[in-house]
Amino acid sequence: MFRTVLKREILHNLYSLRFLISLALVIAAFAAGAASFVRSQAADLEEHREIQGQYLANMRGLAEGSATDLAVRRQTYTLKPRASGFIADAQEKYLPNAVVYSAWNVFAFQNRSGSANPFLVRFDELSWTFIAALVVSFIALLFTFDAVSGEKETKTLALSLANPVSRGALLGGKMASAVLSVTAIVLMGALTGLVIVIVLGQEGISAALAGEVLGFLAAAALLAATFAAFGLLASVVARNANVSLLLALTFWLAFAVVIPNSSTFLAKGLYPIESAETVQRNVTAAFGDLDKNAPPGSWMMNSGNPFLPQHELRANLQMKRLLAEKGIRDKYHQAMFRQFERTRLLTAVSPVALFEYLTEAVAGGGYLRFRKAWDDLHVYQGQLLGFFKALDAADKDSPHWFNPNENVSTTRKPVAFERVPQFEERPLALADRVGPALKYLIINVFLLSAVYFLAFIAFVRYDVR
Amino acid sequence: MIATIVRKEFLTNLVSPRFAIGFVLCLVLIPFSILINVSSYRERTAQYRVDRDAAEKAATEVRVYSKLRPEIVLPPEPLSVFGRGLSGQVGNRVRIWLGDKPFLAAGKTAAGDNPFLASFFSVDFADIAAIVFSLLALIFSYDAFSREREDGTLKLQMSNSLSRSTALAGKVLGILTTLLPVLVFSFLLSGLLILFSRDIAFSAGDWGRIGLLFAASLVYLAVFVFIGLLVSARSRSSVTSLVVCLFVWVLLVFVVPAVSANFAESFVGAASRDNLDRVLRDLDAKRETEIRAAFKAQGIPAGWSCWWCSSGDDGAMETYGNDREEFENFRRRAAVSEPIRIDHAEKRWAAQKAYLDSLARQARAAERFSFASPTGIFRAVAAAVCRTDRASHERHMDRTRQYREAFVRWLRGKDIFSSFPWVTPADPSTFRTEDELIERRTAGEFKTAREFEDWASKQTDARTRWLKLSTVDLPGDGPNDFPFLDVSDMPRFEVRPGSLFGGLGPSAFGLGLLLAAAVLLFYLGFIAFIRYDVR
Repeated sequence: MFRTVLKREILHNLYSLRFLISLALVIAAFAAGAASFVRSQAADLEEHREIQGQYLANMRGLAEGSATDLAVRRQTYTLKPRASGFIADAQEKYLPNAVVYSAWNVFAFQNRSGSANPFLVRFDELSWTFIAALVVSFIALLFTFDAVSGEKETKTLALSLANPVSRGALLGGKMASAVLSVTAIVLMGALTGLVIVIVLGQEGISAALAGEVLGFLAAAALLAATFAAFGLLASVVARNANVSLLLALTFWLAFAVVIPNSSTFLAKGLYPIESAETVQRNVTAAFGDLDKNAPPGSWMMNSGNPFLPQHELRANLQMKRLLAEKGIRDKYHQAMFRQFERTRLLTAVSPVALFEYLTEAVAGGGYLRFRKAWDDLHVYQGQLLGFFKALDAADKDSPHWFNPNENVSTTRKPVAFERVPQFEERPLALADRVGPALKYLIINVFLLSAVYFLAFIAFVRYDVR
Repeated sequence: MIATIVRKEFLTNLVSPRFAIGFVLCLVLIPFSILINVSSYRERTAQYRVDRDAAEKAATEVRVYSKLRPEIVLPPEPLSVFGRGLSGQVGNRVRIWLGDKPFLAAGKTAAGDNPFLASFFSVDFADIAAIVFSLLALIFSYDAFSREREDGTLKLQMSNSLSRSTALAGKVLGILTTLLPVLVFSFLLSGLLILFSRDIAFSAGDWGRIGLLFAASLVYLAVFVFIGLLVSARSRSSVTSLVVCLFVWVLLVFVVPAVSANFAESFVGAASRDNLDRVLRDLDAKRETEIRAAFKAQGIPAGWSCWWCSSGDDGAMETYGNDREEFENFRRRAAVSEPIRIDHAEKRWAAQKAYLDSLARQARAAERFSFASPTGIFRAVAAAVCRTDRASHERHMDRTRQYREAFVRWLRGKDIFSSFPWVTPADPSTFRTEDELIERRTAGEFKTAREFEDWASKQTDARTRWLKLSTVDLPGDGPNDFPFLDVSDMPRFEVRPGSLFGGLGPSAFGLGLLLAAAVLLFYLGFIAFIRYDVR
């Protein structure tokens, strides 16, 4: 019986005007997004090649100077434009995308100046995620809002239920057909986009990309199911299709517009963090304390002879200052991460937000990618420091007074650039993606079943006459 | 006759559930957006006060002119509560340098202290209005003809002695009279929230501008009502017109603005910031070479040694306790280097301006593309009305550049680069020779510098040299012996309050475009209805 219902509903959807318009809209949007992505990706890659070239040339120059120069100079590592950006852009343009480090510390992250045009009003990249979050959620509601109340108005509902068909099967059939129709639309849009990206773009198809595309389609199906459940709920609580439409639109506005847009407000209101000025004041105060308690002569300079006693005093002081600042700033960074993650969890009541977090994990981008690069850079910084210390230990002309800011009291010999360990950003492994995604997946499935259950209860009690 | 139709439409709409739900939607969403933006305004005002006080303190607590670098802090725009425009992305702080013209403003963006929050979006009144008013307009107009045809009432109406134009006019007026109270109510509610908020105060001109925003919203609403009527008059069933209207809504309100920004970004390239930075670094290197060459030509030693020095960016140098010759060298160096620095600001600016122009070109292209949708036009008009558009920001930046010219003129008028107060507040009549200084500092132990150097070169620990010279503290050896500079005659940057109609030229164009669209759509709807088969 369920199959009959499903078949009827799917055919009904397939021949409907909304299916045709959705299909046209989705294909057009995916094509526009893919064309725009291919074009800007080429420009971004070109720019990144130049930045990376400068970064390496700079490092090479320092290594030719001395190993200490290389160790103490602060470098900025810039993240590469991601090949799967067309699936989920994850707001990478606005997120921190560069990390400042030296062999002694990973200091800070920043949003590279020039990664977004400040005169362009903030906008979403036309990635698959954006189109799906906007359009799929909308059409899923459009396919379901009048599923029950509309049929009641045309009197076919009473007719259907006069046959030996259970209410559960009827509702399930409607739900399944809506999900299948919407997913089919997304699939065609995705295929269009994929063809454009592969034909015009620089990156070919790979197993990883195929996996990401499948993951995206699964997330889109989940999104469609969630909104279809909300649409059915709107349909069964109202007595006529007009009201269920308004209810459905209200759901959509709340989930796609209101909740995601109140994140900044929620973050600042519920999880405040210290201001950057306070943190700077704390650092300055810590420096002041250290300077006051340092032995006299600690600040004396004379770089000619590495073995002058003041160099040891200064090296000790600089090291203490580094550690003090690192302690304060690392704590602040952790507070930022916490604020961001908690806010995300709070906005996860919206299926649209959930979908965006899921596709971010699927595509291995955005915040997850940054956090991985940030953690990996800490590991790399340790390696670089170990490498430098080994070089210094082998140098008999060095007094081995480690100073994180100056090139005076450690080895002054050059080092072959080829021997210096290099940082290579690796794509997120499967485990790195599944872990964070799981939390959102569970919330989404819970939300979906709860809403569907409510719709079912309401439908069982629905007066079909 | 027409009054009867309008009354009937109005009453039917009023008792319909869509009116109740639409009204509640406005009742929830409008205060939500206003409260969020008032809170963000409060936060920015607090930050502005902190920044302004810090800037003022920094400008008054200097002892030498070379360290005087006033910082301009622009206050947040109260109207940004209604239309945020660019105010959350461009900074509000501009420091005045000699070697650089004001380029991009610094300062916290909407994300505040946590850069990750920049990845979250936030909406303002103009966005919510653009979304909700268009939706309401379509919801009330999509079934104007198609539903009545289905119910058979349209046929009934037309069998009376009623012209189609009167019927159409009645429909339009009926829908507008239903929506007008919602619009008025939304604006009144927002106005009340502003009035009762202690954190924000509007001037009379600001309220006038809110009036303009209201007029723009009305035209915007009318455009969507006419779209709904046109669709309704072109479709046979109300379900079809509903589906078409909703897709048109998503397309115009969400998809077109996003596509236009993306296409502008991809196909109207902006200059590379990295490239600009490289050009500027090269220019700076050239400037330093030029300055060194000028030193050499005039026989001024480029290196220096000083008793107490504090140097900084942009040629800042504060020094105390030197001998007469060293002070003279500092003075001569500044007299040569600072005019070169100011000249080079022009060269830097040529490159910076080309970069800014390319950014502006891209933003303009995005705006033009978005004019394909009434929502794009409405957002642009709202930002201009709220003084948060690009043009307003550029006006502010132009004024900071004019201020820099005034500041440099003021410095030049004092002939300050070639005078001692540029580097030290000490009176030139108190300057001494090196020998005198050594003798006094070592309490007469050494009579001449040569004598002291002979002794110092034999010491193994370099610190003893410094300890010996600190035997006697001389007045004027450090900054604490001098008062702060009196800069009461320095030109001040004045924050000019915006006028009622200032900078509205482009938005008048946008409004005209909306009106033209409204007239065209109305005409098309009229034709479609004349040809409509009412059976």
